[in-house]
Amino acid sequence: MALSIDRFKETFREEAHELLGHLEDDLLELESQPLNTELINAAFRAIHTIKGSAAMFGFDAVSKFSHELETVLDLCRNGTLSITQNFIGLALKARDHIKQLMDFEAEIPSQVEAASAYLLDRLAELSQKAKPDRSEAVPAKAQGPIEPAQEAGDRSRTYRISFKPSSGIFKNGTRVLNLVEELAALGSADVFPHMEGIPALDALDPEACYAWWDVILTANVDENAIRDIFIFVEDQAELRIECVQGVRAEAKKLGEILVERGDVSKEDLREALGSQHKLGEVLIENKVVTKAQVESALVEQEHFRKQQGAEAAAGSIRVASDKLDALVDLVGELVTLQARLAQTSLELQDAALASVSEQFERLIAQLRDNTMSIRMLPIGSTFNKFRRVVRDLSLELGKEAELLTEGAETELDKTVIEKLGDPLVHIIRNSLDHGIESPEVRESAGKPRTGTIKLSALHSGAYVLIQVSDDGKGLDRDAIRSKAIERGLISASQELVDQNLYQLIFEPGFSTAKKITNVSGRGVGMDVVKREIEALGGGAYLESRDGAGMTVTLKIPLTLAIIEGLLVRIGKEFFVVPLSSVDGCIEIRREELEALGRRGIVSYRDELVPFVRLRDFFDFDSSAAGEPEPDIEQMVIASAQDSRVGLVVDQVIGDYQTVIKPLGRMYRDVEGISGATILGDGTVALILDVNRLTFVVQKEGGRRAAAGA
Amino acid sequence: MVSGHPPKIIDLQGPLSIDRAASLKEELGSALGENDQVLVNLSLVEEIDLACLQVLYSARAQARVQGKELHLVGPVPSRVVGRLEACGVVKGSPERAEDLESALVGF
Repeated sequence: MALSIDRFKETFREEAHELLGHLEDDLLELESQPLNTELINAAFRAIHTIKGSAAMFGFDAVSKFSHELETVLDLCRNGTLSITQNFIGLALKARDHIKQLMDFEAEIPSQVEAASAYLLDRLAELSQKAKPDRSEAVPAKAQGPIEPAQEAGDRSRTYRISFKPSSGIFKNGTRVLNLVEELAALGSADVFPHMEGIPALDALDPEACYAWWDVILTANVDENAIRDIFIFVEDQAELRIECVQGVRAEAKKLGEILVERGDVSKEDLREALGSQHKLGEVLIENKVVTKAQVESALVEQEHFRKQQGAEAAAGSIRVASDKLDALVDLVGELVTLQARLAQTSLELQDAALASVSEQFERLIAQLRDNTMSIRMLPIGSTFNKFRRVVRDLSLELGKEAELLTEGAETELDKTVIEKLGDPLVHIIRNSLDHGIESPEVRESAGKPRTGTIKLSALHSGAYVLIQVSDDGKGLDRDAIRSKAIERGLISASQELVDQNLYQLIFEPGFSTAKKITNVSGRGVGMDVVKREIEALGGGAYLESRDGAGMTVTLKIPLTLAIIEGLLVRIGKEFFVVPLSSVDGCIEIRREELEALGRRGIVSYRDELVPFVRLRDFFDFDSSAAGEPEPDIEQMVIASAQDSRVGLVVDQVIGDYQTVIKPLGRMYRDVEGISGATILGDGTVALILDVNRLTFVVQKEGGRRAAAGA
Repeated sequence: MVSGHPPKIIDLQGPLSIDRAASLKEELGSALGENDQVLVNLSLVEEIDLACLQVLYSARAQARVQGKELHLVGPVPSRVVGRLEACGVVKGSPERAEDLESALVGF
């Protein structure tokens, strides 16, 4: 029993940490958009949930403390307390304190207790200060019927809409069905038409409208968006919109819905409930409501049930990540095996086997995509953490800085993301401490007072490039040099190119800081960064522009990844171009190619594209390759970042599911290759690094242009 | 079957929009006046707007009052059904008009 309670407590801790993470994000966002009520609500809900579950699992200190923070957030929520930088600072501290309190269950150490007391006083001060205003605040806003969805953990709201067109609505050409259709398209809607008012032919005016609608709609829109649809028929229809409740509320009983809609009085309901028959039937029999009214109410009930069901289905489960690792490994093996199966069926020319192989391939492709997607997380989830780092540190250092992020949707393997956290914190701290100057210095240098740190992520073939760049003063070349000489890393006479010199700051114990702050300058940090990135199979690179800032680039491989590739052949060797970077393929005759020069420019879709003959690039000797050069060669047009490049190969074979295997250390310096894969017959194909190739080809083109000019 | 007479079949086609509503009312009304059973073939209909849909509902009510029968027949173009479904008039996606009848709310 004790064991299972402990497990629940563990789950509570995990969930609370997650919620505290959301709370931090919301608070940081709030600092820049203090009037965003959605954010206040989200923060409130997070702390509200923590408070509730903490009390349930016996974390009384957490629960008690959360309650005070909740009170203050509630004051913000109803507009009594305005959100200032100080407020956010205090709320963030309180949030950190809750995180600390989670480690203790019953016995709280006295210093933590003292911190609690201090923060509680500050929070109480805030709510006290807000109190006098409270009486003047408009009470209607806090409890008005407009926003009952606030408590629900979802931004969607559910509306009960009744649309009764006037009988003359057809006369000006209004298409009533279109309006209803448009309304239903706003979100998840259940529509109930009332056709019972249509008379028999004798009494029918064919140009009058008799039908009307009840719609129950759950959507992430406000009431105005709904009214907008009916804006042109405002005076020809009766439109009633009522916000019912958030989707998390329980599905109501039929009777409650009918009472809410005003179809049935409470007395009638009580009477009907007294008999032992189905409520709807009894009410219809008693002529309290019409059949259509009951049916419409049932549609509403069903709508809520569906919403609840959808929510339950959208829930998630926690799985140990090593189980996922094992799964990905197995899928990788399956993909390779499938390639062998396909190869075998091709060789045997057996139609039955070929059909099985094809089905198998389709299934495996789905299995692969699913498995990979399970492990992948958008890197944006860690980006938010760095905003806190920048905020706190710039305050501490008396600097002004903001963090811009780009490519937050770039997906990376979960474990890689986790391991990236610390190195990135080091780099950002470093940028803030050494790179970004104080506001005064920046102003005198003609830069904006507020420094910018940009954190970006992008896919580049089999790698993800993560860059941290700042617009600070850049690296001090001379300081690094003298420090390196002092530490005996280089000799006084040794001249290094900038790139290699900068790379020295990744050496252990290397710091040029003149004074040691508690932020950085101790010489631990950058070497740790390098070590951790290398442990992931990646690399760290530095670029610096004097007085204009520096950029640290982390190149992280997508190890274990399986990608779609385009298999090509040069001589007897096979290569894989990642399909995601392939734009198209064109054929080109050898004479044309010769006329264009070995490395030249070709016109592709009205664009001039530089191309490279991979036979030359990789120094294929045609006699050694064993295959003569074909008369018609093929060119794969690949795109990298924002430019295109043509890769000339002997033959394009087709698409190929590629399990990326990293190349060993020996091949680290081979340009244009990012990995390898094993083909169906066991041969190895190299994976081309399109980014690198593009870079080389463009550089080459530039040099030749310069030489030609 | 109400009587031994063969049912009257009315083939509708093209878009059934508001300007057809009056003539549709006449046509269905006289058909119901002269026959015990009327079958309305919807297979060539391109679109039905609310006015004409109301006439069909109305004719059905008329038949009920007079103790006669009116049915929808023929495969219904999925475009027509799709539109009706989107505004809640039809539940489910019936392909044949016979099924459409039971899927039409309150028909």
